[in-house]
Amino acid sequence: MPTLHLRRVLPVAVIAVALLALAACGGDYPNSTFSHNTELNDGAVFLWDRMMLLGTIVFVVVEVLLVYTIFKFRRREGGPAPRQIQGNAALEITWTAIPALILVFLAVPTVRTIFQNQRQAPTDALQVEVIGHQWWWEFRYPQYGITTANELYLPIGKTVNFSLRTRDVLHSFWVPQLGGKRDLIANRVNHIWFTPKADLSPAAYNGACVEYCGSSHANMRFRTFTVTTGEFEKWAAHQRTVAMGSKAAIAEAAAADSAAKAKPAVKTASIIPVPAPAAAPETWVFPVEKMAAYTLPSTPMPATKFDESLLASGDAAAGRELLTNPANLGKAPCLTCHVIKGETNYANDDQAKGPNLTHIATRHTFGAGLYRLDAKTLALWIKNAPAMKPGSVMPTFGAGEYNALIKQAVPAAAGLSDRQIADIVAYLLTLK
Amino acid sequence: MASSAIPTHAQGASGASQSSEQSGLWSWLTTVDHKKIGILYLYTALFYLLVGGLEATLIRTQLAKPNLSVVSAEMYNQLFTMHGTTMVFLVVMPLSAAFFNYLIPLQIGARDVAFPRLNAFSYWVYALGGLFITLPIFFGMAPNGGWFGYAPLSGPTYGGGFNMDFWVLGLQILGISSLAAAFNFITTIINLRAPGMTLMRMPMFTWMSFVVQFLVILAFPVITAALFFLQFDRFFGTNFYQVQAGGDPLLWQHLFWVFGHPEVYILILPAFGLVSEVLPTHSRKPLFGYNVMAYSGIMIGFLGFGVWAHHMFAVGMGPVADSIFSVATMLIGLPTGVKIFNWIATMYGGSLRFPTSMKFAIGLIAMFTIGGISGVMHSSPPSDLQQTDTYFVVAHFHYVLYGGAMMGIFAGIYHYFPKMTGRFMSERLGSWQFWLNFVGLNLTFFPMHFSGMLGMPRRIYTYDAGQGWDVFNLTSTVGTYMLLVAGLIFAYNFFKSRVSGAPAGSDPWGAPTLEWSIPSPPPEYNFAQIPEVTSRYPMWDLKAPDRMAGIEHSHADAGTIAEAHAVPVHEETERRSAKELGIPIPFPTVKPFMVALGIIILFSGLIVMHAGKFPLAMAMMIGGGAFMVASLYAWLTSPLE
Repeated sequence: MPTLHLRRVLPVAVIAVALLALAACGGDYPNSTFSHNTELNDGAVFLWDRMMLLGTIVFVVVEVLLVYTIFKFRRREGGPAPRQIQGNAALEITWTAIPALILVFLAVPTVRTIFQNQRQAPTDALQVEVIGHQWWWEFRYPQYGITTANELYLPIGKTVNFSLRTRDVLHSFWVPQLGGKRDLIANRVNHIWFTPKADLSPAAYNGACVEYCGSSHANMRFRTFTVTTGEFEKWAAHQRTVAMGSKAAIAEAAAADSAAKAKPAVKTASIIPVPAPAAAPETWVFPVEKMAAYTLPSTPMPATKFDESLLASGDAAAGRELLTNPANLGKAPCLTCHVIKGETNYANDDQAKGPNLTHIATRHTFGAGLYRLDAKTLALWIKNAPAMKPGSVMPTFGAGEYNALIKQAVPAAAGLSDRQIADIVAYLLTLK
Repeated sequence: MASSAIPTHAQGASGASQSSEQSGLWSWLTTVDHKKIGILYLYTALFYLLVGGLEATLIRTQLAKPNLSVVSAEMYNQLFTMHGTTMVFLVVMPLSAAFFNYLIPLQIGARDVAFPRLNAFSYWVYALGGLFITLPIFFGMAPNGGWFGYAPLSGPTYGGGFNMDFWVLGLQILGISSLAAAFNFITTIINLRAPGMTLMRMPMFTWMSFVVQFLVILAFPVITAALFFLQFDRFFGTNFYQVQAGGDPLLWQHLFWVFGHPEVYILILPAFGLVSEVLPTHSRKPLFGYNVMAYSGIMIGFLGFGVWAHHMFAVGMGPVADSIFSVATMLIGLPTGVKIFNWIATMYGGSLRFPTSMKFAIGLIAMFTIGGISGVMHSSPPSDLQQTDTYFVVAHFHYVLYGGAMMGIFAGIYHYFPKMTGRFMSERLGSWQFWLNFVGLNLTFFPMHFSGMLGMPRRIYTYDAGQGWDVFNLTSTVGTYMLLVAGLIFAYNFFKSRVSGAPAGSDPWGAPTLEWSIPSPPPEYNFAQIPEVTSRYPMWDLKAPDRMAGIEHSHADAGTIAEAHAVPVHEETERRSAKELGIPIPFPTVKPFMVALGIIILFSGLIVMHAGKFPLAMAMMIGGGAFMVASLYAWLTSPLE
């Protein structure tokens, strides 16, 4: 084995680091924290730049001194005996005082930025409630009466004030491109606010849970869409309505119909009361063509088999019947955990264990941002969700499928057939 | 580095052939000799280093590319939890303990620690507790809530199963070991120093160890209390952290980090101490600014208790608390920076040679600096909020713990191996290990700075393609395999050199402190005659008096420095048994091991209780407790020597 020398190895290491640094400077980094999309970004990047500058100076001084010392004072045959120096008060005071001075240049802007970032949010801010669940995100817009999941819409140029809480363990809310993170803490309501800058163009960003929260922590992702104020209002006006084709929608249609015939409308008490718009608002969602590739998930598909030919002939009415008829609760207890505004629900938003499905068909992703929303993936999910997201609270429904979470197969008689799943998928896809 | 640069001595490595009574399995089970206990700590911790390293290798293999499934999500979570827990509690702390045990009595001129049997007890609690927390991974039941065990995920509601039971009980067990050892070393350092060795004449390793023991006795009670709350929540239905009942998960975080941050200094200060021994020896110059080095160690320890909440900037503590913890964290950079500069100043103007230990010591200075700078970056909350819980933090603390603590420990092992075994480790293999470690660690951890700042969260078992993280992750994985190879070279070197390394003699490096005045390996009694110390560098007084001319001595009136020294140097040929010299030696005893075993049985009873086997659990707890008390009674009523 040859002997290694510092002179030979050091250049290799330096080149490796330099290459990495180059790699980090070029290329596409969709989740970079070095952005200027909000005032939080500005503060963080300003401090980062200053620390990087001061840190680099300290680093270079230390390493140059070190390397110089190593080469200059290596032992030589017959060299002089080293002078015995115990210490030097002046030197030691110097290299305490200079770093202290450097820290002042960091501490002052740090404290200033802390107080800036944590001021009271403007009173006219858009309020968004973020509720963490194992392992998905619930978003509510209390000013609009909207509950949605895993896809967050924010108007450009308007301050948004998030209040953050969790239904179970701790989570942490983070969109790297839009600013620093904030934890979701049980028994507390936390806050963070920022303003997507007015000059931004509409875009999609990735977000993630960054506090370890159990099995599928890695799978707790979400998308954020920054849209124009007009687009946001259109999106919100539609999202607050009842589900299309739901009981309430049908009743509404019947009411409108019977009003025409001058008969009183029948209202059911169990239906969540919603403002009935005179005309159904236009459906608006962030156009999928505008989503950059990195915001479209490419999670590998599970081994679950599904007869895809059934999907084309899925019967939405039959699917709705499966979901909503109490007689089918044993097989398809969807509405015990999910809310579909306009149907007869068994849980309200505060009790629901799963995402609100009222307008699921208007979302581009599902499963906490893990999968593209399409008929086949939805069918696989319903058939065996734990196979697609480890630890998923949503159980396995496909007849004969193996539930990895409880280590049992679903009995053929108790589970859903591919036909039934295709019908349910057809119904869900009507929920625009 | 050419090995001819290292002075070698001609003496045989094993002066006295050991009988089986001294070296058989039973002798290891019953030993109360601080040197043998130190070696037990060393072997056990190196075994766990392999375990923790393999865990890391699996983690990095899983993350080599996006969307891989080398291990399942659940297994990954167990692996990263155990990697952290193993490296902190079963590797770095015990490796430091190996040096505390082996070196402190030798450095202060004592024949053993103050409480030799308590010392054996500490080791056995650690060894058995380590198995308690490590073995469950083979049954897929290893702790899975992170080494930080955040409530309520670590509680009974969200952390069901046995996984976190093993964690909470295992850490309780390991805490007993650390606390017992800390009291032992404080008593030893205060009471057993050789005549003339004032506090300000102690070797710097002993100084740093002294500081660490105080950190242990102040920090571990906090985690013990926190763990008791969690233990009661898990086993007895209390509601300290149970959120449904109004419990407060932030209580756990504060308690954990009040322990957790000083723990960082518990991990790093012993390595700082080792490096402070290696650098002066191989520079032929005294440590620059000895007083400042000692005070800065104390300062780091003190400030270390006032910065815990910088781990919690994302929990929303409000601007005042954020600011205070931010500035306090920045302050801790000052005493740490002073150490770096003083080490460089120690080498500056010296006559440097570069055996492997010196390479690792310099490696610590170079690499820890990076970890120190990124640490200061975390101290600024608005910026830290973009860094916390990302790979940037992973990069930071691995530069501190691998680039710092492990580099320092490797320096210590190469430096003290000749003292422990009487033989040198191979310099050529050592050089290979160092460079593979140096390059491997930078390849593994430097890219994490990038992936972190580019948005990659920590503790994720998988990530999607196209996120801009692929190249960094692949590089990290390649680096990890390099580190694994470096580790294997180290293991080969270690075991081979033990048997066939070049003989080293008592003072192979020309080092300045007392441990080098006695044979290698030292006799059971260490010092045939307790030395009298007149300066910080008694061996240089003897061997290089010209070097010591300008240094203050207590016997300044005794003519030349060489005359003033009172350190008897014993060569191998003078080796005689304790009996022949009339030195009392503590009796070997198995009772500390039995007490430790009783504690393990007692704690295991709780696991059995969780499994629903109540009568068996009661039997184990009462039986284990009775066994522990009986063994303790037998221990306390039998004479020490």
